[in-house]
Formats: sequence, structure tokens, C-alpha cells
Amino acid sequence: MLDTQDPILEIDKLSISFFTRLREIPAVMDFSAKVMPGEALGLVGESGCGKSTVALGVMQDLGVNGRIVGGSIKFKGRDLCEMTPEELRDIRGSEIAMIYQEPMASLNPAMKIGKQLMEVPMIHEGVSEKEAYARALEVVTDVKLPDPERMLKSYPHQLSGGQQQRIVIAMALMSKPSLLILDEPTTALDVTVEAAVVKLVKDLGQKYGTSMLFISHNLGLVLETCDRICVMYSGEAVERGSIEDVFDEMQHPYTQALFRSIPLPGADKNARPLIAIPGNFPLPHERPQGCNFGPRCDYFEAGRCDAGFIPMTQVHGNDRHQTRCLKHVEIDWSAPPEVAEKKEKGEIGPVVLKMDNLKKYYEVAANALFGGGDKKVVKANETLSFEARESETLAIVGESGCGKSTFAKVLMGLETATEGQILLDNNSIGGTAIENRDTKTVADIQMVFQNPFDTLNPSMTVGRQIIRALEIFGIGENDAERKDRMLKLLDLVKLPRAFADRMPRQLSGGQKQRVGIARAFAGDARIVVADEPVSALDVSVQAAVTDLLMEIQREHKTTLLFISHDLSIVRYLSDRVMVMYLGHVVELGSTDQVFSPPYHPYTEALLSAVPIADTSVQKKHIVLEGDIPSAMNPPSGCPFQTRCGWKSKVAGGLCDKEIPPVRMLADGHQIKCHLSDADLADMEPVIQIAAE
Amino acid sequence: MEPLTWTGSLGIVLNPFLGIVTVLFLVSLVAQTVGGLFAPAVTLQANPDGTLQTRGGVLGILELAMKYLLVAIVGGVAAYIVIPLFIPYGSAGIVGEISKRFLPVWIALVLTYSLSIKYKRRLGLYGKLFDSTVGMIGFGLVMFWVFTAFFVGVFDMIATHDYLSQVSGLKNKVPGVPVPEGTAGLTPHYLLGGDNLARDVFSRVVSGSVFVIAIAPLATIFAFMVGITLGLPAGYYSGRLDTTLSFIANLILAFPVILLFYLLVTPEIVLTGIPSYMAAFLFVFPLIFFGVLLNSRYYTQPAKRTAIMVPVLGILGWLYLSIINQPGTVIDFLPAWFDLFDISILVVFVSVVFVNAPTVFRIVRGLTLDLRTRDYVAAAQTRGEGAWYIMLWEILPNARGPLIVDFCLRIGYTTILLGTLGFFGLGLSSESPDWGSTINEGRKLLLVFAHPALPPAIALMSLVLGLNLLADGLREESLKD
Repeated sequence: MLDTQDPILEIDKLSISFFTRLREIPAVMDFSAKVMPGEALGLVGESGCGKSTVALGVMQDLGVNGRIVGGSIKFKGRDLCEMTPEELRDIRGSEIAMIYQEPMASLNPAMKIGKQLMEVPMIHEGVSEKEAYARALEVVTDVKLPDPERMLKSYPHQLSGGQQQRIVIAMALMSKPSLLILDEPTTALDVTVEAAVVKLVKDLGQKYGTSMLFISHNLGLVLETCDRICVMYSGEAVERGSIEDVFDEMQHPYTQALFRSIPLPGADKNARPLIAIPGNFPLPHERPQGCNFGPRCDYFEAGRCDAGFIPMTQVHGNDRHQTRCLKHVEIDWSAPPEVAEKKEKGEIGPVVLKMDNLKKYYEVAANALFGGGDKKVVKANETLSFEARESETLAIVGESGCGKSTFAKVLMGLETATEGQILLDNNSIGGTAIENRDTKTVADIQMVFQNPFDTLNPSMTVGRQIIRALEIFGIGENDAERKDRMLKLLDLVKLPRAFADRMPRQLSGGQKQRVGIARAFAGDARIVVADEPVSALDVSVQAAVTDLLMEIQREHKTTLLFISHDLSIVRYLSDRVMVMYLGHVVELGSTDQVFSPPYHPYTEALLSAVPIADTSVQKKHIVLEGDIPSAMNPPSGCPFQTRCGWKSKVAGGLCDKEIPPVRMLADGHQIKCHLSDADLADMEPVIQIAAE
Repeated sequence: MEPLTWTGSLGIVLNPFLGIVTVLFLVSLVAQTVGGLFAPAVTLQANPDGTLQTRGGVLGILELAMKYLLVAIVGGVAAYIVIPLFIPYGSAGIVGEISKRFLPVWIALVLTYSLSIKYKRRLGLYGKLFDSTVGMIGFGLVMFWVFTAFFVGVFDMIATHDYLSQVSGLKNKVPGVPVPEGTAGLTPHYLLGGDNLARDVFSRVVSGSVFVIAIAPLATIFAFMVGITLGLPAGYYSGRLDTTLSFIANLILAFPVILLFYLLVTPEIVLTGIPSYMAAFLFVFPLIFFGVLLNSRYYTQPAKRTAIMVPVLGILGWLYLSIINQPGTVIDFLPAWFDLFDISILVVFVSVVFVNAPTVFRIVRGLTLDLRTRDYVAAAQTRGEGAWYIMLWEILPNARGPLIVDFCLRIGYTTILLGTLGFFGLGLSSESPDWGSTINEGRKLLLVFAHPALPPAIALMSLVLGLNLLADGLREESLKD
């Protein structure tokens, strides 16, 4: 509609550096981009690639150390770098608005929502309080928040994370900006909430005609929200073009490697294994000569790729599709990746772990100090029953508050079960707290944690932490033997032995996670609970850590309980999947059974919420209304009934009244739902791969 | 003997120079501050070679001038200290003679700084301190008094006269007064004059440092042991234990400190044995602390544990018994040959620990509350570690940053607290040279003779300032990586 107009934002050969006492650190180099009216540009890259710095550069908010050292940023034809602070203040918030990752950090906790929203037009346009209130009400209705008037009267902490993010979006839209910068707006949210927020952003963008700069590390999200994409690596844009061009006809080795390292639910895991990018991200002051990606590139050619500066070049035949690769014409982009030798999956053995009607309730007293007041019961886990076999991967899927962490705690013995049993080799351990378990049991069940930056004690060397685990598990006769065993464990997780003397802060995220895995396997664990082990890692590292876990599993015949919300990776590596919602197991079955219809309505919504970075995948969009209910105050009847899209199909309001019984659909496929067999059979697959 | 002037013949040259330079510095400082209000905000500009561009214009010149003026001032002050070391007695005045007396301290400081700066990259947080100017100044001030106390206390250097002997005719005499012929002493002058009992003020000040430097850090360490041993479980277990301990801590904090001190040193209260019992209770905490620390670490290897714990606890236990055992109080059961030492100021010690421990308790509790949610704590729990191992080996080392900073600040508070105690004459003998008592004595004639009270006050201030700057430097550097 407006395609003949001038661009809203035009960044030309932008370079940004940060100055420290020691040296200048270039954060962004030679970055150019153009955002047309109504267009959404996605900025993709791993952490530290400079994508947030670009956004801050546009906002002219680089702090005392940061400075634009070259190039220009033009907003509607005016150079932002040459504006006075007053002019910039005028533009920020009214013409350019920014949405940050952490919603709670963007809202003033001491001010009511309404007041914060009304401030925007009152400051920028000087409108009256009454008009500002009317507009706030309108925008809050637009972002689909229930009961807008009550919302305006509440304080930020009274809202859930998803609602807060909607308020932040509303605030950004208050003055109808022409450019909206979104910096990882959904990373802190759950998948189903993320899907709703993404859809909202997309709809609003269309409604208000706002241009968007969407920063994300998630290729799937960018595919869903943006028209154009720009891939960044180590401070440079390496490839940019329209979504279709870049996704289907990528012209840069880094883009290709990035796509090969993420699991796609549409592809078979044997035909398309994950390929990790070798090596590490270069530090900003240690970038190589020539192509930054050179040292990790499969197509690297010494003397050519490392000769000097490489400019962006146009890709012939595509509109505005450019790449920073000297060899893009020579490389055969459609050649299939070299598949490493296929590894046989371990034979699934006998049942090791059995949950029998496990229940975990917490009593929460209203008044903690004197123990008086009403006591509330939080049902964190409700009648969990399942089995896990030797060398099997069982994925536990669910959003925050579904009870998967509580389950892990009970299994590890940090909490004791309220009712029911956990049987390890037919010995009940559910009622035994960890201090009463014998060393063997403790060593048998170990855990890999989510946050790599938190999983290692920052003030102990890596080797010492592993040796400590060995000491506790009573392995090794003396210090020398334990040291030897520790070095072998480092070999197992493919870390150099020299790392034993390093401190955790000297390691990268992926390396720390490997140490965490080594520590978990110190006592030859037979059951490993992996709590989102890769979700905090960069895409290119994720694949390597996942592969490592699978390999150790094959060798040690470990039972892996893989807790995750990322269904693509679950499909890739698990044998069976268990979907949890508000403490209930709503669906349990083999991976194929869970990922194809009939689904539980919640599984269906989860599947449709996962962003998939594949243009050939057709996906049904099911957006769940509202937020996950609190476990303190669960809905009556079926736990999912408040958000279920199929509720109307069940007659007699059964969903409101009764908790559905567990039904066996096929061999080993169980589901907790009131829907009739006919309705279940009618379900269509959520993900379909378009015929090529 | 002629009385000494302040700067002697050296001052004829140096005084005008320093005066002019200081005035110029102040003028440009004012000009720059006023000018800076109207100048545009400074942004960093890079030269093509990557270095930072210096600022141009009048303000830039002022900035540069101030830098050189500051160097000139520092150089002038250094000259007052260095030159007297090479010229004969008396020609550099009082300042020169004092500088000469401190010669061992200067040598020790120069050695410490040159070695530390040379090897700073290998010295961890201590080495990083030498990256921060503020930290270096603070460390210098603190180490000045530490070395002074060391040389006075151990080698009996620096002080010129006996700090207790009175010389007739020198009562309240001004600095630089000559002593009568035949008086025992290393200099023929009272460098900082005489106090109202005709004792040498300079010698009393440097002797007082021994008292402060010996007591303040030790009392603070004890307070930390108590605070940590109670704060860790309070934060880790929370719930009832936390509520109870926090309530007691608040109770102690709410009680007026000075009144508490008065109560503790009242002879009637001392006779009931309350301070002794409190000492017995408070000083047992280091024992518990180290016992639990080592046991939780080595309990998986019993032989090694015994080999380490027996000597450590044996020595600590002996020290503990010696400390609490005081002849003439309710706790007096050890044979004299077994009692290592008698601390006459046990009461002071007890009161300082008693009032400091609750604050440390609260800091440790808060840090623990935060750190116990970390994954590495969960990892330790899931491999079946005991609670004390988690608290002392997983949580405490990671709380060390804020605790080290607080430790430095707290030595400062303790120093002031000791001064306060001395000022009120609590628990110390009346002729004690400690700074608090000395200030109190000088206070009586302050309007007529300021010189007996000022030197100990300046000494106290410089030590506390040094500790605060050191804490600032440590905080600043510990945040960087």
C-alpha cells in the first residue's frame, strides 16, 4: 500500500563501539538496514552478536561508553545522530517505541497501570487527563486484556507476566508510533502465552500500520512475525533479504549452519540430524581477519576468506537479498549435509522407575508467622502414574506452574510425596527424603539444571566440583583415584582436561552445561532428570549439548527424563512424551502418538504455539485465551476447561463439573479428556508439511 | 635547645611553592566546576588509532592544568616527607622530624606497594585493588597505621619518649618544645608538644595505634564468626528459626549501645559474672564455625578429617579457654601455667562483638536467602550434601564480596566504637594511650590548648577514612571482572 514511499528507518553502514579503559570494542560494524512503512524486519543472531546494540543505537541510548563511530541512522529522512537531546526526547516514546524482554522491568512498580499509560500522550502531545484516560482504555482493550477498567487501576505486580507484556505493548502503542522496536519481547513468557502475544503484535502492526524492528534469537518467531530478515553474526549483518529468500535460498554459510542446528518438527531425525556449529563465538576484540565466521565455516578457503574486509554483495535474481560471503556463487547450497555415521539407538530395557498415583500437595498458611488463618492446599501433582524404562527418553512437557519441577523435587527426594509411590527397581523411595536415602540411590538419580550460569558454584574450580560429587558418592579409594576419574568424566563430556583447574566464569555457557552433565554422571547415574538443559543456550550450542546427552545415554543405558517446553526438541530426541497441565498428566504416549491426532486439546494448542523455522510447514493457529490458572485456585472440573477450545463439544457442562478420567486411546497412549471418540477422531494434524 | 618550627629551613622554599600551587588548583577547580555547568555534555571521541581523544577548548585546558597542579601538590607533600630523611636533625622542623621517626613505616609501605603492584595480576582481589586509585589510597592509610602499630608494638621504634613519663615544665607546651637536658628520650624535643600531664603527645598517639590495630580487627572477626554462624542457618532454613533469631537481633540492635556498655562495665554487673558468661558464649562461635566447616568438608574421609580437625580444634580450644579464663572473675578454673594470656580489656571485647554481631547476622541472612535459590545449591542438595556443607562451602564463598567490603567498613565502626568507649573511660585504665581516652583528656582544655586532642583525633579519622576508602575500592574492583 505504501511501498513507493520513503523508508521509515534507514540505517547505513552503521558502526558502534564501546570504549573501555583498555581498548575500543567494536560491537556493530558496517550494518545497513531499511524498514519500509508497515514492514516488519526481523533481526536474528546469537547472544553477543550485536542485535540489541543496533536497537539501542536507533534509540540513541548507548550509555557513556558506547558511541556511534561511523555511518548514519535516518528516521523518516532525519539523521538521529545529529539531533539534540531535546529533539530525541520528543521522538522517543512518541515516534519510536521500544519493548524490552523483561516486562516487569519496564513498568514502574510504584505507579498504577493507568497512570503510566496516560503519561505517554500527556507528555508527548499535551492532551488532557480525560482524553488520555479514554485513549488508555481503548489501547488496553486493543491488546485484549479482560476488564480494562480494572486493569488501569491495578499495580504491575498484580498482573501475570503475559498481562504485563501486553501492558508494555499497550504503552508503546499509546502514541501511535511509526516504528516499534521489540527486543526479545516473548523470551520471558510461556509458549502458549508467547503465541498469543506474537499474534497480538502482528495484528496490531497491521491495524496501526506500524513498522517493526523485531529482535529475536528464535528463527521460528521471526518467520511468523516478519516480512524481512537480517541475520547477524559477531557484529556484522551476514545475510539479509525477504523471509522466503533467506529461509529457502540461504546464501551464507552461517545462516545455513544455523538452520541445520535447530530441530524442525517437520523433518525426520534420522534423515536430518542436528549439526552443531564447531568452535566458539569469537570475542569482540578477538575477531579474525576477513570473514568473522571463517574459522567455523565448512567452506573456508585460506588466503581468500581471511584476506580482508568482505562487503555485502547482492544475490542475483532476488529482490534486496544480500550476503556477506565471497563464495556464495560457488557453493552448492542445495547439497545435503554430510551425515555422520548413524548411531543405533540403545535397546529399551526393563522398567527402572515407576510412579504409582503420586500426589504432592502443599499446605500454604495465610499467616506464616503465627500459623493461624486459613490453610490452603496447593495440589502441585495430582495422581501421576507412569513408567520409565532403561535407556529410554521420556519427555515431560508443560508450561510454568504445571508441576514438573515439583515432580522433579519429589523424585530427587528434596520433598516427600503426599500420597502414592515412586518405585526405583521396585523399592519405594517416594516417602524417603534425600538425607535418608542410601548413597547408591542418590547417585542413581541425578539432575542437569537449566541455567548454565547458575549450575556451577562460581567460587570452586571445575575439577573440585566434580571431585566433590565423587567424594559424596564414595567413589575412589583416595584423592589420586578420584582425580583420575574426574579427568575421565571431562573426557566423557568432551572437554579438555585442562579445564579441571579453571573457574566456572572462564567457561562459556555450553561448556558449563557440559560440566553440569559430567557432575550428574559422576556416580554413574541411571536416571537423569534434565530440566530444560539447553533452553538457555544459543542455538548453535544447543545441538552439541543435546547430542552429547544422547550419546552418553546410549553408552550408559541411562533413563533420561527430559523436562522441556520446546516441542521441536522433544520430538527430536524423546521416545515417549508426557504432557502436564496444572499438576495433571493430560496426555501420555509415544512420541508419534502424541504428535499426531487425536490430541488432547492442550497438546494441540501447545503444538500450534511452537514457532517453526520452516516455510514449508503449514500450521494451524490455535491461540489460547487468558493465562494459566493459579495452582492455589484451580478451576473446577477439568483443569484445562478455562482455556479449552473444544469445551462446547462436550454436552452437559461435564467439563465444569468433573475431572476427566484417564482413557486409553491406543496401546500406551492415554489421555485425560471428556471429548467423545468421534470428536477425537475428527481432529486434524496441527503441523502439515506442504507438498513440494 | 631552640624550639622547633613546623617546617624549619626546608619550609622557606617549600611553603610558598605549595601555597601558590594549592591556590591555583583551587581556582581552576572552581572555574572548571562553574564552567562545566554551562558546557555541553562530554561524549567520548575516538582517535583513528583507537585511543580516546582529549577534550578541547578552555575546559580541556583547565582539565589538563588541574592534572599538573595536582601532581605538583602531591610532589610538594612528598618533598616534605622525603627531603628531611637526608638533612641533619632540626633543619626540616617538626614535620621533617616526624617523617624521620616514621622511616621504618615508609620503607615497609614502599616495599609493600612495589611488590604488590609488580605481582598484582597474580594476587586475585587483593591485586585488583591496585587498579583503583581510591582503593590504593585507602589501603595506604590503613597500612600506615598497621605498620606503625607493628613497629611500635613489636620493636618499640618510632615513639620518641615513654608515653607515661611526665617531664616537669612541659605541661601543655606547644609542638616543637625542647625537653630539659638529661631527659630520657630519642629526640631533644616533644614533637607534638606535651599534654596536661606533661607527657609526649606524639609518643602517645603512635602507642595508641597498637591498641586500636590489635583490638578492632580481632573484635570484628569475632563478630563476623558469630554473625555468620547464626545468619547462615537463619537464611537457609528460614521459617521459625529465622523469625526467632531475627527478633533477637532486632532486640539487641534496638537497645542503646552506650547504655549497654555502661551496664557491662559496671563493677556490680562484672561481679555477677554476666560479661564472663557472655564471653564464654560469644567466643565459642569460632570453635563451632571451624569445627563444622572442616567436618562438613571431610566427613567422607574420616582419617583425613581427624588429622586436620584435632590440631585445629585443639589450638582453638586452648585459645578459647585462655581468653575466657580470667583470674578474679567467675570463670577462673585453669591453672596459671595453662592460661596463655590475660586480656584486661575482655569487657571491651565482649561489648564490641555483642553489638556488631546482629548487623553481620542480618547481612549474612539476607545474602543466604538470595543465594540458596541458585541451581548449584540445588545440585548440592540433589547429591545429598549436608545442610552445613551447603551453607559453608556452597553459599558462604559466594557471599564473600559484600562480606569483605562490610568487614572493612566494620573495622572502621569498631575503631570509632573503641574510641567512644575510651572517651567515656569505659573498661580502660585512665592512663591508656588509646585515641579515645586521649581525645577525652584533651577535650577538657580544648579551647586553650588544642594540640593534645587534635593528633589522636586526626589519627582516628585517617584510619577510619582509610578503611572506608579501602572498602569502596574493594567494592568497585570486585564488581569488575
